[in-house]
Amino acid sequence: MPAKRGSSSSSDANVLGKSLRVRGRLTGEGDLRVEGEIEGEIQVSGALELVDGGSVSGNIAAKTVVIEGSLTGDVAAEGAVLIRAGARVTGNMNGAEVALEEGAAFTGRIEAEFELPDGLAAGGGGPRGRRR
Amino acid sequence: MATVIGQGIIIEGEVTSDEAVVVAGTVRGKLTVDGPLTIEAGGVVEADVGATSLSLGGTVTGNVTASDRVDLLAGSRLVGDVRAGRVTIADGAVFKGSVDMDV
Repeated sequence: MPAKRGSSSSSDANVLGKSLRVRGRLTGEGDLRVEGEIEGEIQVSGALELVDGGSVSGNIAAKTVVIEGSLTGDVAAEGAVLIRAGARVTGNMNGAEVALEEGAAFTGRIEAEFELPDGLAAGGGGPRGRRR
Repeated sequence: MATVIGQGIIIEGEVTSDEAVVVAGTVRGKLTVDGPLTIEAGGVVEADVGATSLSLGGTVTGNVTASDRVDLLAGSRLVGDVRAGRVTIADGAVFKGSVDMDV
């Protein structure tokens, strides 16, 4: 069975479908796409995508996190956290970079502590939030 | 899109779904699927399993209840009781438990 590990996140990725409900702990290697409902902690080594219609109540740890659905819990990401328009988020975001799109509902703290190399500083990056 | 619990994923707790689920990773706790359940070779389920049908290529430790059928494929391993209308056990499947065909 070919287990391809590439940048294409659609074909071989982990998907928790729309009608799926998990109560408990989820850990693992690779990317994860959540379309359903998870009550509990999530810990993945790759990218986590919480799509519109999906919901998570629990803390999330992942490399990068994109949220379009609803989240009640804290996020700890090694890389970027993106909260898209339409998302509903309550919790503290912690990542190397945190972006909050217009139209997202957010309650919590954003902590994006990062140091850019001199050459990259003040690049034309996306919106970046820092609040208390 | 249906649910795929991939190779590297471990879920500890209760999992329920109203549509098809494919398990290639590990599920511990309880797994209830209102639809077809496929446990691929390499997939490990340590849980009581309920589904419309189960196609097992991996390992299950727990009781299995299916409203339609259970197929134990070659190379699969099941320790637990099976309750289903139709059951097949392929040559090369390992099975310890009882079968209740619910007639």
